[in-house]
Amino acid sequence: MPHTLQLDSSVYLIEAVEKAAYRFIDRIAVVISKADGHISLAITVDDKHAANAEKILADFKKELLDQNLRVKIKAETEPMRNLILAYTFSKTGLQS
Amino acid sequence: MSSKFFPLVHYTPEQGKYELLPFRFEPFSEDEVVITNAVGEFHFLTRNKLNALVDHKLHPNDPEYQHLRARHFLREQNDQAPIDLLALKTRTKLHRLANFTNLHLFVVSLRCDHSCPYCQVSRQSEDKAAFDMTRETADKGLDMVFRSPNPALKIEFQGGESLLNFELIKYIVEAAEKRNETAKRELAFVIATTLSLVTIDILEYCRDHNINLSSSLDGPEDLHNKNRPRPGRDSYAKFVEGLRKARDIVGYDSVSALMTTSPASLGRVKEIIDEYLKHGFGGIFLRHLSPYGFAIKTKSYQSYDVDVWLKFYREGLDYILELNKMGIPFTEHYSSILLTKMLTADNPGFVDLMNPSGAGIAAVVFNYDGDIYASDESRMLHEMGDSSFRLGNLHKNTYEEIFTSDVLLSLLDDSFTSSIPMCSECTFEQWCGADPVFHHAMYGDILGRKPESEFCRRTMGIIKHLLEIMRTDKEAKKIFMRWANKC
Repeated sequence: MPHTLQLDSSVYLIEAVEKAAYRFIDRIAVVISKADGHISLAITVDDKHAANAEKILADFKKELLDQNLRVKIKAETEPMRNLILAYTFSKTGLQS
Repeated sequence: MSSKFFPLVHYTPEQGKYELLPFRFEPFSEDEVVITNAVGEFHFLTRNKLNALVDHKLHPNDPEYQHLRARHFLREQNDQAPIDLLALKTRTKLHRLANFTNLHLFVVSLRCDHSCPYCQVSRQSEDKAAFDMTRETADKGLDMVFRSPNPALKIEFQGGESLLNFELIKYIVEAAEKRNETAKRELAFVIATTLSLVTIDILEYCRDHNINLSSSLDGPEDLHNKNRPRPGRDSYAKFVEGLRKARDIVGYDSVSALMTTSPASLGRVKEIIDEYLKHGFGGIFLRHLSPYGFAIKTKSYQSYDVDVWLKFYREGLDYILELNKMGIPFTEHYSSILLTKMLTADNPGFVDLMNPSGAGIAAVVFNYDGDIYASDESRMLHEMGDSSFRLGNLHKNTYEEIFTSDVLLSLLDDSFTSSIPMCSECTFEQWCGADPVFHHAMYGDILGRKPESEFCRRTMGIIKHLLEIMRTDKEAKKIFMRWANKC
């Protein structure tokens, strides 16, 4: 029986949820769906990790928060990343 | 009288008026994260400070504020220096790419006088001349070498036991030297050999042509002989005798040695390091087995997992740090490569830790039969029946066909860490590499799922251990700084 988790989509970004699920791919299988302002997760813990299910789920919830923060930092710094790279190669003659 | 200067408050940044520069973070302990900036410089931060930083609530008087500003995690309005410095450091880290291929490996023979159970190149027995490279193939290989635009060219002779075809080595060295009279490159030669077959004549030749020797030492005599069987069970004695002669004739620093961690090595890391010290080596490369050749056939590779190897590595590194603290300078080379990436703007160009992958563009392999491979591991895979990374053949394909082949371009293009799930947001990406051939060999695709990847777990395990040491041990950090800033 999968564990279920409902996340408020005004708080959690779908990109962050996908990344968190991917990071835990060696321990859990996650089915993600989105409806009515919620992101729903159906989580199945791999058999070999069943004994640690609670700990894994707690770590997964922390990972969701970390990924949400990472997406926020990435979005805020995107123009700066592009600027640094453009500036890096500005005198090399390699850019078109 | 009014002051000619603005008051100090004029220069104090306004709270919250800073801009975040690109950075990533990873939990390090219950309350602490490690953060890396756009060029891989790192800093430890509490969770509270991380949140304050991201929410633009970090006060300019906070001690962390200056650290973060100095290390390009934030910039104040109109700060131009962080952009200049990040751009300069990015260019420095990528500068090797434009030079293209440096290392050219010639597999001059697949024959070998040893029968190591963990052999990763699937050697052939000594008497099969069919596994030797010919002069015609060597000439074609040299055509490729001198097409590389790199101002520094290194030619490494590999086997089997490369000295079983020493006549061809001499032929290649002299032909390369002749070509270099007009090409004017910085030309270097290395022979990979067990030293079991060295003679005075061979060593005098190496001395006269500035050829270095790269050998193997697995540990104390019983361990070395167990790992590296040959008729007479005298591999260790042959190595010691060869090392002494080579140092006498070619030069003390002309010989390096590599070890491989076999199942029998586990639990003996201190003895192995002591053996390197005994022979006057200044460091050791604690190498795990790779999943190729006889290492797979004889199940050597499968005999220990990443966690077991990491324990071996950590014990070894702790011992090496103890030695350094006692005044005995000694380096662990793999850590040193990672630390160079973590603590400086330099990129040592180590093929397994390159992004884009170093396959073909940092190193290329010419097999004894003229086949060209993207890396040494690629030709090892071929000997196991998987030719996925065969780029062509010296007798059939041109330089342009080889280096613009779909095999090579796809290998490079598809394995950029910045487009791999999990790597693309990994805090340690700047220090890591793609290693597509390993992932293909283990998982059937060049990316693999990183949460399940042994490469990822091993590299993460080493990096986290190095970070923990630097966080808690100032003396060890100074030693690491020396390793990372070697001249």
